[in-house]
Amino acid sequence: MSSHEPPRTLPEAAALEAAPEVTVNKMELSSLAVYYGSFRAVVGVTMFVPLHQITAIIGPSGCGKSTLLRSLNRMNDLVPKSRIEGEVRLDGADIYAPAVDVVDVRRRVGMVFQRPNPFSKSVFENVSFGPRLYGIKRRRDLDEIVEQSLRQAFLWEEVKDKLHQSGTALSGGQQQRLCIARALAVEPEVILMDEPCSALDPIATLKIEELLQDLKSRYTIVIVTHNMQQAARVSDHTAMMMLAEDGSRAGTMVEFAITNTIFTNPKDQRTQDYVEGRFG
Amino acid sequence: MSTTTAGIAGNAQAVPSQRFSDAKSGLASRHATNLAVQAVAVLATVLALIPLLWIIGYVIYQGGKSINVELFTEMPRPAGMLGGGVLHSIQGTVILTLLASIFAIPPGVFAAFYVVYWPNTLLGVAVRSATDILSGVPSIVIGLFCYALLVKTTGHYSALAGGVALAILMLPTIIRTTEEMLKLVPRTLYEASAALGAPEWKTSLSVMLPTALNGIATGVILGMARAAGETAPLLFTALGNDRFNAPQIFRGSRALGASVPQALFDVVNQPVDSLPLTLYKYASHPSPDRVEQAWATAFVLLVLVLAINIMARSWVARQTAKQRGR
Amino acid sequence: MLHSRTSAQATPDILIRLRKSLKHGDRIWNAGTAAIATLVLVLVFSIGAMLWVSSEAARKQFGLGFVLPTADYAWNPVTSNFQAWPFIYGTLVTSLLALVLAVPVSLGVAIFLAELSPAWLRGPVGWMIELLVAIPSVIYGLWGVYVFLPAFVRPLGVFLGVLGSVPGFQSIFVGPMPESGSSLLAASFVLAIMITPTITAITRDVFLAISADQREASLALGATRAETILRVLVPYGGSGILGAIVLGLGRALGETMAVTMVIGNSLMGSYSLLQPGYSMASVVASQFLEATDELHLTALIEVGLVLFFITLLLNIIARWLVSRIDRQSSRTAGA
Repeated sequence: MSSHEPPRTLPEAAALEAAPEVTVNKMELSSLAVYYGSFRAVVGVTMFVPLHQITAIIGPSGCGKSTLLRSLNRMNDLVPKSRIEGEVRLDGADIYAPAVDVVDVRRRVGMVFQRPNPFSKSVFENVSFGPRLYGIKRRRDLDEIVEQSLRQAFLWEEVKDKLHQSGTALSGGQQQRLCIARALAVEPEVILMDEPCSALDPIATLKIEELLQDLKSRYTIVIVTHNMQQAARVSDHTAMMMLAEDGSRAGTMVEFAITNTIFTNPKDQRTQDYVEGRFG
Repeated sequence: MSTTTAGIAGNAQAVPSQRFSDAKSGLASRHATNLAVQAVAVLATVLALIPLLWIIGYVIYQGGKSINVELFTEMPRPAGMLGGGVLHSIQGTVILTLLASIFAIPPGVFAAFYVVYWPNTLLGVAVRSATDILSGVPSIVIGLFCYALLVKTTGHYSALAGGVALAILMLPTIIRTTEEMLKLVPRTLYEASAALGAPEWKTSLSVMLPTALNGIATGVILGMARAAGETAPLLFTALGNDRFNAPQIFRGSRALGASVPQALFDVVNQPVDSLPLTLYKYASHPSPDRVEQAWATAFVLLVLVLAINIMARSWVARQTAKQRGR
Repeated sequence: MLHSRTSAQATPDILIRLRKSLKHGDRIWNAGTAAIATLVLVLVFSIGAMLWVSSEAARKQFGLGFVLPTADYAWNPVTSNFQAWPFIYGTLVTSLLALVLAVPVSLGVAIFLAELSPAWLRGPVGWMIELLVAIPSVIYGLWGVYVFLPAFVRPLGVFLGVLGSVPGFQSIFVGPMPESGSSLLAASFVLAIMITPTITAITRDVFLAISADQREASLALGATRAETILRVLVPYGGSGILGAIVLGLGRALGETMAVTMVIGNSLMGSYSLLQPGYSMASVVASQFLEATDELHLTALIEVGLVLFFITLLLNIIARWLVSRIDRQSSRTAGA
């Protein structure tokens, strides 16, 4: 475990700059590095995820954004020989500590993927999948959870008469909202989104961006996107990632600040080059 | 107990229901189930592998005890007398497998060409279905068919009839393998040849076939291995013949003035034994000596079939590794 | 011209080019391959036709009663009365029992190979399972008679024979099992061993074909591995798994040599699993060469005909099931 890297003035200052009343960090990352076997995919990530805010992770392709995101709900554990250095804390507790139950972490930190991946089951069965794992069996309870989750995902009106049709029969945008509803059904605290709109058309994308603004009052959201305008529109804080300059093909965090700063007055030249579209 | 979906701006903290975060004890039993399911899967795998090791181990042990050179070089002695061998069966297996290959490979390959080029015609679909159906026909039924076709009509059993039966068994495998190998040939090769003005038949035979040949050969060899191990279709076609001695028959026929083709025909026009057929007969024989020979024959047959399978598969593995490395 | 199995569209321009450019020799090539392909089709029909025609005498004599359940086991070469019910019963019972034994094991192995096994173990184990398919049927039979039956089936039969005195189990566990262990039960076990690799291989392929994002979705929701396998993957692969089972059943129905050697080939007149019996394939294999007269022979051929039809039907069902899974995966893939 390496010691804390630069003194934590940057994040703290950024936090104070941003919204003085927000003092709670839902998640904190210190000097995070992710390894697949001997290959180091991500290095030197220190940032925090403020409560009830949307935090975006941007950067050119291949610089480890998804890897970083997946380390927040331990989905990287599924890759053989993967390990991390550094810490990832959720409400102050390290989620990689030996006694931690991965299954519980993944419930509390939900995930929505790039390509919508509803199960080959009905809409109802998709959303009730998670609660059923926890032994919730009564029809009344499940009905209530399914409706609430679909409402929160802005999907209820469109599918309320189609609950028992296959989830895969919906349009792309609807499927993605179904996946969001499915994640919401187990009452997560954080929602991770890995380029959730990249497979969708602009109208569906807009709907989801509106949805995110509504969700953030109740959840904490981290979104990876390679669409800079989306990051600027949607997020409160932004983290900029790029390939490390040592030629090792590891991704690293270049800058982390409130979104406005990143896009109008970034401190790092690389960030400035990227947001001005000079590459990536 | 439900979530307050207040949607209040700013720092409103929703009160989630406690149903999920209180479910800690449920987690323990879910993890227990998880382990149990995985353990059951491992157990099933061990269970499935036990017969394999048991059979191979026992055949090698028991058969190995009775193996001797005589087995490969002698004809059988009359029942009750010790010793002798299964030379007649070895000859029979070789002849039958050869015949089956000759009868099955050309039609199989050409039929596969048709199916690959015209998959959406009525005939193409029909032939694919027929191939599938044929592969599901029990081997003994195929034996009955060949009996009616070739034994009843000619009035005697023969290696020819057995060869045809085995060929019918091999046919679906050959068609399927050839079809799949042809489909793997890059389309660009086909188009390049066509662009050069080559007629389709020339493209097929000089470009497609050689490219797919390795894969086809593997499939053919595996099909031959299977045919070599079959018994049921031979029961009423080749029948068995413990006096069969191919070189002798051939020479005798030539001595009587027959031409080479004719003499060859005389050889295959006899009933013959094959290794599995002999095994079957010896296995239930009252004489313990014969039973010992059955085990020895099993040893030979098993080693033969497994060796071919292992070689073919490792050859395929090497080929695919080579292609990936390219 | 090279179409994948699932692509339904021909590339029009290549076809047009072909038809226009029927060069010298191509007409012969196309006609030739078509003719040979037709021969394959003709072959399948001929088998059915030949069996139908050759069994005429028996069919005319016994009609539908040949296959219907009979109160007594009427297959008597002496009295020239031939009804096949005992063999149909034997075939069905041994095949279905083989399925009951094989499917759970096959499912477990497929789950292990596809989902749980470490990568380095996957190849060797899968390869060993496939080796089971390559072992000739007679060798299964030989091992069955001299090794498996004495070591396993006979003791089991003795144990189950005790159950036979418990009311309710009476009819299927009536003993005693013959000394040799030859019985319907023996055939069922041997068949189970023989069809396991078939079911395993197809089921494993079904699992492997399911895209990774289904597993990801489930695990990200906080499901365990087992929950993902049982609640997401197995239902998803449902038709394919069913197809694998049907294919295994088809193999069991047609299996001849191993069954002939361990089933006993005699009729004791009871339904008991512990008693010897016949299957359709084994009665043909064991009686054909010693058939006493023409009627006996044609009756046996008719048994072959029945077997042919049953496996044909099963094959059609299996193909339909597999086509359903093709349609399902193409539906979900095109989100």
